[in-house]
Amino acid sequence: MTAPTIPPADAIPPPSSRTPKSRWDISNWRVEKRLSVGWVREGIFLVLAVVIALALSALLIVASGASVGEAYKALAEGAFGSRRSTLESFVQATPLIFTGLAAAIAFRARIWNIGGEGQFFAGAMGGWWVANAWGDSLPQLVILLISVLAAALAGAAWATIAGFLKAKFDTNEIITTVMLNFVILFILSYLLGGPWRSPDTFYFQTVRMPEASWLPKFIEESRLHWGFALALICAVVAYVLLWKTPLGFEIRGLGINQQAAKFKGISVAGTIVIVMALSGAVAGLAGMSEVAGLHHRLQLDISIGYGFTGIIIALIGRLHPLGVVIAAIFFGALVNGATFMQITTGTPSALIEVIQGLVLILVLIAAVVVRYRIRRVHADG
Amino acid sequence: MTLGALAGFAVTGSTGSLWLGILAAMIAGGLLGLVMAFMSATVKVDQVVAGLALNLFAIGLSFFLFRTIFAGTTSTDIPSVGVFEFPEIPLLSDIPWIGDIFFSQHWLTYLAILSIPLVWLFLNKTKYGLELRSVGHNPEACDMRGISVPNRQYVATIFGATMAGLAGGFLTLATTGLWFPELISGRGWIALAIVIFGNWRASWILWGALFFGFLDALQLSLQAVGVELPYQLLLALPFVLTIVALVINRSRSRTPLSLAVPYRRGER
Repeated sequence: MTAPTIPPADAIPPPSSRTPKSRWDISNWRVEKRLSVGWVREGIFLVLAVVIALALSALLIVASGASVGEAYKALAEGAFGSRRSTLESFVQATPLIFTGLAAAIAFRARIWNIGGEGQFFAGAMGGWWVANAWGDSLPQLVILLISVLAAALAGAAWATIAGFLKAKFDTNEIITTVMLNFVILFILSYLLGGPWRSPDTFYFQTVRMPEASWLPKFIEESRLHWGFALALICAVVAYVLLWKTPLGFEIRGLGINQQAAKFKGISVAGTIVIVMALSGAVAGLAGMSEVAGLHHRLQLDISIGYGFTGIIIALIGRLHPLGVVIAAIFFGALVNGATFMQITTGTPSALIEVIQGLVLILVLIAAVVVRYRIRRVHADG
Repeated sequence: MTLGALAGFAVTGSTGSLWLGILAAMIAGGLLGLVMAFMSATVKVDQVVAGLALNLFAIGLSFFLFRTIFAGTTSTDIPSVGVFEFPEIPLLSDIPWIGDIFFSQHWLTYLAILSIPLVWLFLNKTKYGLELRSVGHNPEACDMRGISVPNRQYVATIFGATMAGLAGGFLTLATTGLWFPELISGRGWIALAIVIFGNWRASWILWGALFFGFLDALQLSLQAVGVELPYQLLLALPFVLTIVALVINRSRSRTPLSLAVPYRRGER
């Protein structure tokens, strides 16, 4: 048996000469977590995400046979080309501000309220019911105030079902809120087919509510109504509530670390119920604003997925009321501009849903990527 | 599912082959699953949010592509394709009553039923299935045992999405022969409900699916007969029952403990 021969130390080439040291040698690069992310960098990533989303959507426009430049030009023109179209973009943004805020409030507490759509309908039904019952007999200001209240209560009540079940039985709120979305649509469909159906029509719709209970125009000669102002007020209130009150502290605390919040003496179950109620109330206002401001009657198609779009908006707006308002106006402009784009260039308006989805996907990825940096390190380090 | 339905529809429309359409539906679903897996297992975006984002994206994309591919069609001239014929199994389908129910279904229906024991066998009787379930419960322990967590997550997500694409393809190619944005009408969510209803057991999926399908069929026939019962009640029942099941099953829940929790090595 021979002992293994050990080569002398100087026979082993030093690591640096064994692996050629190249700038592009991947082993020299490390992905590290950033300690803090500045808001400037975050902003740059957000803009980048939007730009990439628009670039990817451009491929689709090419596929559809239209000119990218013309399509995007028409999109921008339809959204902000004139005073009238700008105001219409705000009209489209109004429900999205509400539902975006609703989602943001819940998500801040890491409660996944996916039920914005259902709460929207609950609010619309509550608001319409009050307006229809007392719209003729009460002064305008009073009826508006109580129908706002009724809408908020109805939305809150519908959301509280999921909130209560989560607090009491620890049921997954994503599933309960999604299920409740379907349930309220069937309830509304039943009411519109029977007790609430307008007697003079075969359609699934109610009678028009009395004119006194309509949300007045915010700016004459446009469709912009006071719902827009109400939405902006809600955004301010949400900001104050989340950052300037003890309740807001508890809500955000729940979202950051539930264990720590519990040790700090915050009632987790109670906060869950309150958060869901608040979130539902704001989503309910969206429904009331749409019905009292635009449609003036209940139909099954008063929402084109505002509750779901609100989720995207909350996430793109980084769960901050100001971000939500900006994202909602951006999306409202997309929706508004898309109609013009479809008419003038023939690009299907469904493109904007693709853009919305892509923006969200890329923003989500950017939000993770921005927390990391790639740095070149020395081989010996 | 919506995208799968459209892919199946478009490919069948252009090639004339229903089976190629089904294949396309599965591929489209699987590709979407790949993106989903990339977002949740690689980038580690919150899975709920990633799923919602892809849902919205896929529905928008389907609608856009439908409008682009079938440009120039109007509401009176809706593009349609032929659907699968019901196969007639010789002899067995001639048995009165039973033959109609059990031996005159679409081939894909048999495949769907067959897939239940297959998935059960895979999940419960193979090493890979055990690993897959373990990753759902405790990814950290799996990682220590040398099981690649992202690998299992990719496989599971892509398989699930492929099946969902197939389901979409079935709807358009075996039932309607049409594609429209509301075609799916929440069936993907019902699938979620069935999983909860069946408490995560493959064997129960059949009963859950049959029950929900039964309610849907009952609702249609009651409407046809004109029974004085709001049909919306029956339509809403599956969703209400899912919530009830969620509450009742909470103590016996077999929900994977790490469901929707992104796994990052070395972080808890």
